Amino acid sequence: MKSYLLHGAAVVLLLLFVQGCSTSPPAPYPPPVVEQGGTLPGEPARPAIPGGIQPQPAPPVATTTSPAVVALLGQAENQANGGDLEAAAASLERAIRIEPRNPLLWYHLATVRLAQLDAAQAEQLAVKSNSLAAGNRLQQSRNWRLIARARQALGDAAGARAAGRRARELENR
Amino acid sequence: MARRRKRGRRKSRRKVVRHRSPWLRLFLLLCLLLAGYVAYLDLQVRQQFDGKRWSLPARVYARPLDLYVGKELTADQFQAELRALYYLPVDTATQPGRFSKSRNVFHVFTRPFTFWDGPQNSANLRVSFAGNKVSALTDARTGRPASLARLDPVLVGSFYPAHNEDRVLLKLDDVPVSLTDALIAIEDRGFYKHHGVAPLAILRALWANVRARGVVQGGSTLTQQLVKNFFLSSERSLTRKFNEAIMALLLEIHYEKDEILEAYLNEVYLGQDGKRAVHGFGLASHFYFEKPLAELSVEQTALLVGLVKGPSYYNPRRHPERARARRNLVLNVMAELGLIEHAEAERARNRPLEVSRQGRKAINTFPAFLDLVRRQLQRDYRDEDITSEGLTIFTTLDPQLQWQLERTLATGLQGLEKGRRIEGGKLQGAAVVTSVQEGEVLALAGGRDPKFAGFNRALDAHRQVGSLLKPAVYLTALEQPERYTLATLLDDSPLTYTARNGTVWKPGNYDRMSHGEVPLYQALAHSYNISTARLGLDLGIDSIVDTLRRLGVEQRLNPYPSLVLGAVEMSPLQVTGLYQTFASGGFLTPSRAINAVLAADKTPLQRYSLSVRAVAAPAPVYLVNTALRYVVREGTGRALYQVLPEDWDIAGKTGTTDDLRDSWFAGFSGDHLGVVWIGRDDNASTGLTGSSGALTIWRDLFRHFGRPGASRPVAENIEYHDIDPASGLLADAGCGDAVQLPFISGSAPHEYAPCARGDQALPNPVDWFKELFQ
Repeated sequence: MKSYLLHGAAVVLLLLFVQGCSTSPPAPYPPPVVEQGGTLPGEPARPAIPGGIQPQPAPPVATTTSPAVVALLGQAENQANGGDLEAAAASLERAIRIEPRNPLLWYHLATVRLAQLDAAQAEQLAVKSNSLAAGNRLQQSRNWRLIARARQALGDAAGARAAGRRARELENR
Repeated sequence: MARRRKRGRRKSRRKVVRHRSPWLRLFLLLCLLLAGYVAYLDLQVRQQFDGKRWSLPARVYARPLDLYVGKELTADQFQAELRALYYLPVDTATQPGRFSKSRNVFHVFTRPFTFWDGPQNSANLRVSFAGNKVSALTDARTGRPASLARLDPVLVGSFYPAHNEDRVLLKLDDVPVSLTDALIAIEDRGFYKHHGVAPLAILRALWANVRARGVVQGGSTLTQQLVKNFFLSSERSLTRKFNEAIMALLLEIHYEKDEILEAYLNEVYLGQDGKRAVHGFGLASHFYFEKPLAELSVEQTALLVGLVKGPSYYNPRRHPERARARRNLVLNVMAELGLIEHAEAERARNRPLEVSRQGRKAINTFPAFLDLVRRQLQRDYRDEDITSEGLTIFTTLDPQLQWQLERTLATGLQGLEKGRRIEGGKLQGAAVVTSVQEGEVLALAGGRDPKFAGFNRALDAHRQVGSLLKPAVYLTALEQPERYTLATLLDDSPLTYTARNGTVWKPGNYDRMSHGEVPLYQALAHSYNISTARLGLDLGIDSIVDTLRRLGVEQRLNPYPSLVLGAVEMSPLQVTGLYQTFASGGFLTPSRAINAVLAADKTPLQRYSLSVRAVAAPAPVYLVNTALRYVVREGTGRALYQVLPEDWDIAGKTGTTDDLRDSWFAGFSGDHLGVVWIGRDDNASTGLTGSSGALTIWRDLFRHFGRPGASRPVAENIEYHDIDPASGLLADAGCGDAVQLPFISGSAPHEYAPCARGDQALPNPVDWFKELFQ
């Protein structure tokens, strides 16, 4: 029963996260988007989910460059909606093969891993996203939020608080 | 055993005498024995049929080619991929597995294929190329642009079980009706009516054989033939015939005709490919025509059906005339029975056999890479699962890159031997290419002969790495920004080190000179041994060992001072792992050769997913990588830019060991990391340094990768300052040859160099770095 709940929670989480992915239309070659600053919408109240993972509002808009990557993000969304998180991860990895240095893709992969309750790898992937997101504060703050949730799930409350602080600092800068 | 049976019989006889006729008793006993025997056969038949019927070798595929606008791919490379997939060039592509081409526009009808993420239908694509890229991709059916498409992957090999049976499993629904109709027409016209044996057919055959005084005709039904293939040897005896008949009857009792037919289509022996036995029409189609069954023409189908009678007698490669006559006979029968039009049969009879060259799939195309795949599989699967469970293995191999690597290594080594008057064939080499961020092994060479399936140097040649290890020393230093920066002056004056046990160590530079005080980045760029040794001793050997462990180096490390100069043996693949961490910005990224494994029924079994672990902070790694850029700009690796364009961003390191035994180069650019080793199997001197040997191979290989894209992003908390290399201090317009160096925030020197006039900043530090990061 518990694992069922967790799985349900994972799907809900994924639904939330991938909403943003498909919203950008597959325009031919939009210029590379570099997000500067920006704020996250306030976090609406949601019921707590077992496993200590808190859902997060969907990122506003996906920042990606190529139609192929947009298509794969959409595919990942569908797979996640269908409950097949591993297939969603595979699609994201395929997207990473096309744009290996796109921090957004690493972030999404981190989110999938978190939904799969692999919090340790989720944290690492978010750190990786950060390493590719120099100057992109919005992406960095998202990553830190995810790191906070991953650390929470790993039972590292102090680490989670520290990560949360980093996220807020980036948002307020 | 025999005695016990005798005693039993005697006992029963006594009883029989008293109660019943002995003959009846014997008859009943025989019936019982027969029933038992039949039950035993029945068990066998059902077990064989219901359980795992065939051991299926694992099939290994290259990465599928993803197509999208902007993809780096030339028209020639695309055509090479289609050739490797045995797509047929035609005027107009109207069915899967065919393509047409006019100048730089391809029209491709792709084959359906089941990937990790599910089945993919065939697509009708128009792919245009301009420059070295895919310039347009459209769905030819709708005429609308397609964002992403994927070809079926190239089959690069199989892992066979010991008995070397091979097949491509078919479902009856996948088999063209023309084939089953023809098969039944030729081999067993009564198939859908009989109960497993056809007595009349046997009598007819017997009569024909008697008349001909020899075996000219077989009366076996398809069911009997299946039983024969399934269980029995090809020995011809009455017992065998008897068993065969019983088992055929039993099969028919338990199973539907279509199930039996499906099993037959997969089981029948249709040829021999060296040690590999070709079973079933699925594999036979690939073996003889290099395409799936669904793509066969009517005469090709007829040939396969004709082969059932005698795959070796009618072998179309050895005996084309016999094969052709047999094929035409089948075509005639098909026409007589109305399976095809007479006119069509006439046309088909006049067609050539069109069999491909001798089956090449038997030889694994890339043995060194497959070796790596097998070893990675062995972590999770038993050997018998790998060879018999029908796994589909999706690997990371990029065939385009692999071919390029094989060519480059072979011609490169030849060139080096010629240029240096080394006896031909003496030099050996190995190389690994991976993707920088994901650690996927894209290409791998285990020696100069790519078809040689023996000693795999990329995995098993453990050689001294020499200076390749130095970046780990410099990383250890640069992780302490309060002590070391790229501008810190290191002492390169002669060094004599006496260990506690009294051993004396006197490291020397390759040029046998010492260079006084040198800025840290130059010490790495020029691979100075003395300053590096001193740096290592200052840091402490244990801390170097710690760093190496963190970076993923697993082998035994002797904590002696000589470690800092590379006194450790590693394989090219292990070196790749080490450099992967630098290339990816401080993330340990395991080298993966496998992406996913599917079970025989095409359900996902396992995925080998991308995983990373941050083992070094991005900023110090960024500093090391900057020094590695100086290696190829002005240090030991500068020969690179004799060939490669100046605006390419490359970081790398040469490695040369004592007496020039090993020549190494490890480097990364854009999205690729490559490690090349050259040496001799007898460990004699090659006469080559890292720069004059391995680097040239690396250079000739990377030349083909296309211009690397945007540079890797600058890490957070990095700031650039103009530095006077002579003093390691801040420079301004007064300094002649200032360089722009990155520093971890706050770690840059505050003092100005003696050359600085102190009145103005450097107006425009002309620097390749500046250009790279703009």
